[in-house]
Amino acid sequence: MGSYAGIVIGLMVIVVIEVILTYQHLSVRRLVFSLLCLACLEAFVGIMYLMHVKYESRLLFWTIFPATLFVLVLLNYLWPDAYRMARMSLGK
Amino acid sequence: MSESELTMATGHEVLMEASPYHIEKKKLGMWVFIVSDACTFATFLFGYGYMRVGSQNWGTPFEFSSILNGIIMTFVLLSSSLTMLAAVRATQAGQKASANKWLGFTMLLGTVFAILHLREWVKMIGEGWRLFYNPMGGAAQFGACFFSVTGLHLTHVISGVIALAFIVRGYNQGRYDESHVETAGLYWHFVDLVWMFVFPLMYLMNAAR
Repeated sequence: MGSYAGIVIGLMVIVVIEVILTYQHLSVRRLVFSLLCLACLEAFVGIMYLMHVKYESRLLFWTIFPATLFVLVLLNYLWPDAYRMARMSLGK
Repeated sequence: MSESELTMATGHEVLMEASPYHIEKKKLGMWVFIVSDACTFATFLFGYGYMRVGSQNWGTPFEFSSILNGIIMTFVLLSSSLTMLAAVRATQAGQKASANKWLGFTMLLGTVFAILHLREWVKMIGEGWRLFYNPMGGAAQFGACFFSVTGLHLTHVISGVIALAFIVRGYNQGRYDESHVETAGLYWHFVDLVWMFVFPLMYLMNAAR
């Protein structure tokens, strides 16, 4: 259980880093990029170690990750429209 | 195909191939559910991002007291992952009393998380926040985004606590074994990991700085 406790404490430390970054007066873009990178790191550690994917068949990993990643990449198609809305609200 | 690669389906006169994933059906089913649920949460979060980018007066309403509440909620949920792991270990070792204890702690921490979350909601509703009304005068969609994303997550936590209660009951009655606890643990860790995205995106990105 010691290694698991270490992992959970590590995740808590990342959360504290996220909070510290929030109050560093970063630009919104830089802040969201930093927070998402740290959240992805937390998710990766959690999936591999807490959910034991590291110790399961590699086929499970290669079934789950590319499919999920594909959906997440496709969702990014909405950003151009979001920026179009932002430009419209500015009257440009 | 060797005979060892074949398993007899219980109660049926057919031979079935072993799973290529080398895991139990219920665990594979849970993984399929987790992938689909992850896509659901991702869609909600992308929708929130879309509305935030598209509006000019989003606002940052969360004072440090709300952020502190969020930090405590995060730590509570992360601690519950650790107690869940301890419960899985105990069931695998056949230590029923210890498994019950750790599953009880996990349910307790899940309940504490839900109470802290609802306290935040009650505070916000008291301040005038509604699904389509922003008392601070900013984008009206904030309430819809916040309550829908955190509400979906809260529903998962409450469902998880209820599911764990059924698992504990079944485990004590001998209907469920360690694989059921492990599968429930997968769900619990997933709910925990989703919060790792919800907290920074919904709370920290909206913190008053």
